[in-house]
Amino acid sequence: MGETAIQITAMNKFFGKFHALKNINLTVGKGERIVICGPSGSGKSTLIRCINRLEEHQDGSINVLGTELDDNVSHIDLIRREVGMVFQHFNLFPHLTVLENCTLAPILARKTARAEAEGTAMKYLERVHIPEQAMKFPGELSGGQQQRVAIARALCMKPEILLFDEPTSALDPEMISEVLDVMVSLAADGMTMVCVTHEMGFARQVADRVIFMDKGEVVEEGAPDDFFSAPKNDRTQKFLNQILSH
Amino acid sequence: MSVTTLPHDPTRKQAHRKRRLSRPIDMAFSALGIGLAALVLWRIFNWAVLNAVWISPDGTSKVCRGISGACWAVIDVRWRLILFGLFPFEEQWRSSLACLVIVIVAILSCLPRFWRAPRLAGLWIAGFVAFYVLMAGGIFGLTSVAPEKWGGLTLTVFIYAAGMLIGMPTAIGLALLRRSTMPVIAKITGLFIDGIRSLPLITILFTAALIMPFVLPPWLLGDKIWRVVIGFSLFFAAYEAENIRSGIQALPAGQEEAAKALGLTYWQRTTRIVLPQAFRNALPPTINQFVISFKETSLIVIIGFFDVMASGKAAFGTGDWSFAWVEVYVFVALIYFVFVFSLSRYGAYLERRLRVGQH
Repeated sequence: MGETAIQITAMNKFFGKFHALKNINLTVGKGERIVICGPSGSGKSTLIRCINRLEEHQDGSINVLGTELDDNVSHIDLIRREVGMVFQHFNLFPHLTVLENCTLAPILARKTARAEAEGTAMKYLERVHIPEQAMKFPGELSGGQQQRVAIARALCMKPEILLFDEPTSALDPEMISEVLDVMVSLAADGMTMVCVTHEMGFARQVADRVIFMDKGEVVEEGAPDDFFSAPKNDRTQKFLNQILSH
Repeated sequence: MSVTTLPHDPTRKQAHRKRRLSRPIDMAFSALGIGLAALVLWRIFNWAVLNAVWISPDGTSKVCRGISGACWAVIDVRWRLILFGLFPFEEQWRSSLACLVIVIVAILSCLPRFWRAPRLAGLWIAGFVAFYVLMAGGIFGLTSVAPEKWGGLTLTVFIYAAGMLIGMPTAIGLALLRRSTMPVIAKITGLFIDGIRSLPLITILFTAALIMPFVLPPWLLGDKIWRVVIGFSLFFAAYEAENIRSGIQALPAGQEEAAKALGLTYWQRTTRIVLPQAFRNALPPTINQFVISFKETSLIVIIGFFDVMASGKAAFGTGDWSFAWVEVYVFVALIYFVFVFSLSRYGAYLERRLRVGQH
């Protein structure tokens, strides 16, 4: 691995008295694809939400693309512009068209000219195979289509890193593959990706590393082949048995 | 959510009729109700139209002596007083023009093509400048008229428009401050809103008009009419802020998070993502608040202003016309109705329009 994209050192996160993340150390290289898995409540979503300051960490340090994530608002804004995020519930803006969803942030946060932003947006909407929906409102699309728009919206900011927070968990089963296909093709293009997901097939296929979390701790990490065939920790073993058994 | 309208279905109509009119007792009740309504309407029609006197050729109440219908002649003789209050008679064209300017500006700003901040701001600034020049005079060869002489419908429309115009941005500001992440600011704003809401409008107007002169330094005092407008708009803002806040609270947390994750700043998130959706959510109570506020303008009589209600009272206050108070109140009610009903219908139009794209 070459340059570092994300460097998390001795990071702790509390919700009041609850110790949500315990002494997290994680390095993600540029172009690396990481899959984070673990039982619900293990802190995996909280971890990636700390990377773009949707959650604040209390202790330790997070460095993203050379910028220290601290209370400095300009640092936070800088990091957020370079780190895209795709949410479980899509979170598209329902009062804006698909195209406006994609051009809003480039125009406002990147000061891109409208015509150029619209060109870029159409390019990425084609990339996720829904350019014909550009003038519709999110409420008129299926879940899978909405999630693909959400990916295109994140891509329009031309981010260095993409975070995925359970992007397929809210989808009907028949729509999962259309979203995963887009994610696989992004991975093939060398995008730096951190994905919280239960899609173990996706993890096997594209991840450089799989991280298993439980009770706010990183329990185990490794290349997907080792991780799935020879998990070292009991908790990992138990989790994998549970999700792979059916 | 879309409302599905059922296709016209004759069997449903028949079922409906069957339920209503099947038994003799049902028929009897229906007939009785319809008959009663018809009787009441007929008597109103008789009073208001058939037996009414419409004009008074000599300007006195003699024409109405001994009639059984409405004496609309009072309106014919006194309409200028009702619409313009004590505004000097020869200058009343200015008052009517000023009223018209505000109404036209209000109608224009209801049209979607004016929904751009610079256009709206320009429109209202121009509107108020025109209004003020026409009403106050003192330049362009117009004789000057003191605000104490402003009155009637023009004053009502002015207080209302100015109150809403100052009140709405204040309401937005209060709603945002109450949601501040800084507890001190949120708490103080909350206390302010709850404090204003705990007071009757009359006391606020009274304070603005009569107590403020003792408290404020003279250079900050301004004219009484502006203090009243500000008091009125604060009262409106305290209620409307809570309507807007409810609209903001109704948004899923994911909306703001998605906007943050895209790198939008607080103001960008607020103006592009949060407020547009919050307004849509808060539209029904907002229209409600606008409607209530229009009717509340009649309270300014307490501090010596002659709004349309007070000048209506003056119109039948002299001995000559004192019998014609019903006619005057009906006329004033009609004026209120035109304004408030248009406002309500406009609200319904907005709801239909903004539903586009709402899932």
